[in-house]
Amino acid sequence: MSALAIQNIHKRYGEVETLKGIDIDLESGEFLVLLGSSGCGKSTLLNIIAGLAEPSGGDIRIGDRSILGAHPKDRDIAMVFQSYALYPNMSVARNIGFGLEMRKVPSAEREKAVAETAKLLQIENLLDRKPSQLSGGQRQRVAIGRALVRNPQVFLFDEPLSNLDAKLRMEMRTELKRLHQMLKTTIVYVTHDQIEAMTLATRIAVMRDGRIEQLGTPEEIYDRPATLYVAGFVGSPPMNILDATVVEGRLKIAGDGQAIALPARLRNVVSDGQRVKAGIRPEALRLAAGDEPVPQFKARVEVVELTGPELVTTARIGDQRITACLPPRSAVLSGEERAFTIEADALHLFDPDTGRSLAKD
Amino acid sequence: MSGTWITTRAWLLMLPLLVVMIAVIGWPLIDTVRLSFTDARLVGTEGTFVGLANYAKMLGGSNFLRAFVTTTWFAVVSVTAEMVLGVLAALLLNQQFRGRTALRALMILPWALPTVVNATLWRLIYNPEYGALNAALTQIGLIDSYRSWLGEPGSALTALIIADCWKNFPLVALIALAALQAVPRDITAASLVDGAGPLNRFRYVIMPYLAGPLLVALVLRTIEAFKVFDLIWVMTRGGPANSTRTLSILVYQEAFSFQRAGSGASLALIVTLLVTVLAVAYAAMVRKAAGAS
Repeated sequence: MSALAIQNIHKRYGEVETLKGIDIDLESGEFLVLLGSSGCGKSTLLNIIAGLAEPSGGDIRIGDRSILGAHPKDRDIAMVFQSYALYPNMSVARNIGFGLEMRKVPSAEREKAVAETAKLLQIENLLDRKPSQLSGGQRQRVAIGRALVRNPQVFLFDEPLSNLDAKLRMEMRTELKRLHQMLKTTIVYVTHDQIEAMTLATRIAVMRDGRIEQLGTPEEIYDRPATLYVAGFVGSPPMNILDATVVEGRLKIAGDGQAIALPARLRNVVSDGQRVKAGIRPEALRLAAGDEPVPQFKARVEVVELTGPELVTTARIGDQRITACLPPRSAVLSGEERAFTIEADALHLFDPDTGRSLAKD
Repeated sequence: MSGTWITTRAWLLMLPLLVVMIAVIGWPLIDTVRLSFTDARLVGTEGTFVGLANYAKMLGGSNFLRAFVTTTWFAVVSVTAEMVLGVLAALLLNQQFRGRTALRALMILPWALPTVVNATLWRLIYNPEYGALNAALTQIGLIDSYRSWLGEPGSALTALIIADCWKNFPLVALIALAALQAVPRDITAASLVDGAGPLNRFRYVIMPYLAGPLLVALVLRTIEAFKVFDLIWVMTRGGPANSTRTLSILVYQEAFSFQRAGSGASLALIVTLLVTVLAVAYAAMVRKAAGAS
């Protein structure tokens, strides 16, 4: 039995369909990240699970019961909001305990639960303060505490880290991961940040235009993107996508005479003369040391940017651009023509019309 | 050097306005104070200095006490009713429903009417011969025969309070509605997930956002209600049997009907002082509330 089952959820606002049939089955303890750009329907789906919006069709089940039609408070869920949504007039302790207070939990029991939660989140010294006296990170902890204290079946997070600065966001990310590992709770987490998705999730659902583009573990999403959209969305800098044609088992890059040898696993999924989009992750490119027996191509280096841990190199191949993430001390200068090698496993082929991956699973 | 010049220039720029203000506010006020110590009449005698006699007469007489009680009752009941009705209307108009925008616009109407128009309107409604209120109450069987709502001491003040509420609750509703729209959606959603029912949500989640703006509305409305004149003058002129004679009506009668400018001025200053006390007390409350939030 799954902890949370999202079954064929549809949502229409008038003529516009924002969710077009979402199916996800979540096991207990899973950390599901709904990843997508704004307007893809991920927050709508979260609100439907929370009971803050009604679906036009489909079912949501927690455990063995349908929770559609149930009031948000009766769904055994807790939610953390992007704006933290703390009650400004209440102390931190009362904010955390408010859900228990409304459920008429005796005050002694409530105080104990609030104290335990505060200890877990290291905010014991803040319990008497008002939200306006807290920093962003502290408010975020209180918001998480308010969800944790109720010990619900499912936690819902709506872009909880997007209001924090970069350094704090990283700290809270780690903190969330620590909490999840410790408490083994079931979480649905909405974000547009692919790094958050990759680091936190046990499974990622990449959403686009009201549909799930791909549902899989972070490794699957990163290593075997099912579509061009997923390939472009996950990874930073994004995957290079080159127009190419298959010629005699090799990949002829458009606008350039060069052909790259196709690895065996891809040779039999394409036919001669087929147009494809070739995807190569920037981190899968290396400067060629010599005549290695690996796929390689030549490109003219345009821009070299040192970010610290890596050297982001942009080069031209024919009339297309390609980005490579090289080791920081690589000897490469703008203007020179260099040979790059591709890790054979890292080459992806997509159908240019449907955008779907041509690789067989 | 340049600082002095800026200050001088600032005073120069304000000078025309200052002259106008001294002429239309300062001088009349000072002259009222002077008058209040004399036995001047509106027409005729310039009056002679009588010391505090006017004040003693006004504060000692039963008219003042009765008018003070009438005014306080009028202010407390009408402002309380306006606050309750206004908040309820705002809560309703904050819901999603068809025709909400039209209803919001319609609600402003009573407040937008000039007081004299409103007063005339209600006089027609209360009319003892062809008034709508009599017709409605007779038809639903609540009363047997038409009554003179404004002509009976027992009902006149209540009738005025209803007319005042009808005109002024939209202002409270407008202020409350603006405050309700400032309640973040996430906070309301969080309280739903936390399991707060409608009453608890109003008390713990919404009220903190309403309190400040409502306090301002309360201040404005109480001071206005305490000064009420035009509504009553048009509808009852303080009658019947002085049952609707508020302090402002009393001032008017003393100074203009009885033409006793001296004692009228002293009464006007007493009312001004009372309103000032109210205003200062409220200002302190608002400042305290603003500091707390």
